[in-house]
Amino acid sequence: MNNCFGCNTCKSADKPLEAFIASLPLETSHHRVESQRTKCGFGLQGVCCRLCSNGPCRITPDAPRGICGANADTIVTRNFLRAVAAGSGCYIHVVENTALNLKNTARAKGPIKGEKALERLCQLFDISGSSLYEKAEKAADAVISDLYKPEYVQMELVEKLAYKPRFEKWKELGILPGGAKSEVFRGVVKCSTNLNSDPVDMLVDCLRLGISTGLYGLVLTNLLNDVLLGEPELRFAPVGLRVINPDYINIMITGHQHSMFTDLQERLIQPEAVAKAKAVGAKGFKLVGCTCVGQDLQLRGSHYTEIFDGHAGNNYTSEAILATGAIDAVLSEFNCTLPGIEPICEELKIKQICLDSVAKKANAELMEFPFTERAHQGELIIDKIVEAYAARRGALNLDFSQANAEWKPLIDALMGAYKSIHKDVPLNLLPDHGNDNTLTGVSEVSLKAFLGGKWKPLIDLIAAGEIKGLAGVVGCSNLTAGGHDVLSVELTKELIAKDILVLTAGCSSGGIENCGLMTPEAAQMAGPKLRAVCEKLGIPPVLNFGPCLAIGRLEIVASEMAEELGVDLPQLPLVLSAAQWLEEQALADGAYGLALGLPLHLGLPPFITGSKVAVKVLTEDMKQLTGGQLIINSDAKESAELLEKIILEKRSALNI
Amino acid sequence: MKRIMIDDSKCDGCKNCSAACMQAHREPAGSIYDLDMSDPKNETRNHILADGKGGYRPIFCRHCTLPECAMSCMSGALNKEKDTGLVRYDEKKCGACFMCVMNCPYGVLKPDTLTRTKVIKCDFCLEADSEPSCVKNCPKKAIWVQEVQA
Ligand code: SF4
Ligand code: SF4
Ligand code: SF4
Ligand code: SF4
Repeated sequence: MNNCFGCNTCKSADKPLEAFIASLPLETSHHRVESQRTKCGFGLQGVCCRLCSNGPCRITPDAPRGICGANADTIVTRNFLRAVAAGSGCYIHVVENTALNLKNTARAKGPIKGEKALERLCQLFDISGSSLYEKAEKAADAVISDLYKPEYVQMELVEKLAYKPRFEKWKELGILPGGAKSEVFRGVVKCSTNLNSDPVDMLVDCLRLGISTGLYGLVLTNLLNDVLLGEPELRFAPVGLRVINPDYINIMITGHQHSMFTDLQERLIQPEAVAKAKAVGAKGFKLVGCTCVGQDLQLRGSHYTEIFDGHAGNNYTSEAILATGAIDAVLSEFNCTLPGIEPICEELKIKQICLDSVAKKANAELMEFPFTERAHQGELIIDKIVEAYAARRGALNLDFSQANAEWKPLIDALMGAYKSIHKDVPLNLLPDHGNDNTLTGVSEVSLKAFLGGKWKPLIDLIAAGEIKGLAGVVGCSNLTAGGHDVLSVELTKELIAKDILVLTAGCSSGGIENCGLMTPEAAQMAGPKLRAVCEKLGIPPVLNFGPCLAIGRLEIVASEMAEELGVDLPQLPLVLSAAQWLEEQALADGAYGLALGLPLHLGLPPFITGSKVAVKVLTEDMKQLTGGQLIINSDAKESAELLEKIILEKRSALNI
Repeated sequence: MKRIMIDDSKCDGCKNCSAACMQAHREPAGSIYDLDMSDPKNETRNHILADGKGGYRPIFCRHCTLPECAMSCMSGALNKEKDTGLVRYDEKKCGACFMCVMNCPYGVLKPDTLTRTKVIKCDFCLEADSEPSCVKNCPKKAIWVQEVQA
């Protein structure tokens, strides 16, 4: 591997992690930030076009148009639409698989853990059925049939899922999406070479993609997972590298498709599997959470205490988690599985297995999981992981003290020879990292139950000014906006100090929780009013909704509150920030936020600033269209002030 | 004195040096994200020419030991500074005769596009920073600063 250790690593909001990464004898993404510091100015602004072989074309004063004649506005919005369409496609893939898994489970009369969640879905979809399985299958089918509709047929569940005033608005704007997969197709076609050159038309398409991404990829994926895997329950749980227990065979999971692990989660705690682990000297198996699928498992952790040790960290913590040496296998199924983990896995003999071909990693063995093959595949995977453990950490520790004295010299010689050949992978744990009491299991259902079954107590606190407003700090973590999680964590601190309650979802959650902001003690960092509320309720000032998919849960909370107040979403004292957005998926999420009419802060511009039209539409005109607005600022203090100002404006418009 | 050295075999023609030069000299100041890439006011002081054979020729002011531009300038707008060795341009003194443009053996100098009343000349980013922005932003390290005899 590229031996750059010794290079500077980038800053992290998580200081113990920063020191750990700087001391590693391995190269991580944190080491590579320095060598990638020089950025292309044309790329940053989105005015580099590589759509055809005339290119790449770039916009300069001498060359204000590409060879084909495309100007900065066209080039920028084409690139942007491509990114949003790709991001949407990713989320639609996730919900499609989730719905298929639910359907197959229902057909096979497999375990349905969230009966209440299923009832809720059936009510929402107007579905009835004589059995649990029939209802589950019908619910799954309702989603699947919508996803597969052509682009010119509107999806049926949109109206059932969307908050009414929003639905009306979207109808009025003509942005109700057709079949979600077809919408991705249309987006990709539209931005191809020499097709659309109208920046506004392409930006409107981004909104349509935002709606289908949000309602299906985000909201529905959660609800379907709740049915399959059980609903989130509030509890305190450990987070950070401390969750890794080296006595077990540890499997790090990364990706976004929790339902893919349904069967495996159960299988790993069966006596037959545990016996296999014991045979090689481990106590059993543990799943170590990483990226969003780890967040999702943590959210439902109360149902999986036996197999799940806790959430260790976000996307840019994954290399450090592996570098502890105590991870024996990586099971990945979707994005945020960094290519950078591959050389580390090779070096530390960590087995990589990929469960979904769309996310096949170069080192990984692809072991797709057709539903009918799940038993066989599951056993095969377990065997491979046991094998990896034996090769990595399986130095024989047998007790020969009772052996016949006659055989002793021979046994000693054999053991000596064995030990000289077999070297265990060294452990480099960080057992104090993170904390033991991060509040998790927050969902639209568990939070409401905590508040006594209605949103009124929270609304009252907001109306009384005890809580100034709500901010969703969501999305990814990246290494550039100040460093790993720096902007997300700093912004969160600033917001809570202003008595703004923060709700999180996504990899940003992983960083914020490892920095301790989701423990009840963090109330001390909040402003006096929010602090008093938190101390009274015994909750932290930052509530973790889990994976990025749970942005859909935040939207449900917001809609239900708006409904209780009788207002539309843009009127709520609620802001969103994807401070450290990283991926195309985040841009599709962002498009959803704008369609919902919410102010959306980004720490780094989404490669659009080269187009005056795109900037104006997204930062200003959007207010008239949907009520939403893009705010770009990479300074935590300034950003918090901008967001606070918006919250105050919304408060005064509501006369509170 | 310092000079920007060039290894044209390393240049990929990415023009990041040009964008960096535009950014360093723009008014008002701002971030690279809001530099207006199509505004002729934001001119670059360097040029990347294609050699026609798949390679590139980065053209940067040499701050020559015997600068033809300064020697041909009648108004004294161009001068080789004793202490730094840099050839500096004073817009206020410039008569816009463009003798310098004609005489620069490397063809780096040009009249400004919009008004044609001044010369666009490399200033080594003296005001901006210790190191010229172009050098700082070349991903290929095709250009670098080196100490040379004045
Ligand atoms: S599509 Fe137009 S702008 Fe893009 S590379 Fe081709 S010629 Fe250039
Ligand atoms: S402008 Fe031309 S002649 Fe004058 S110093 Fe620069 S390279 Fe030399
Ligand atoms: S254009 Fe200006 S700087 Fe150039 S030679 Fe004439 S007076 Fe001197
Ligand atoms: S930045 Fe470097 S590689 Fe790019 S065009 Fe300029 S000199 Fe060439």
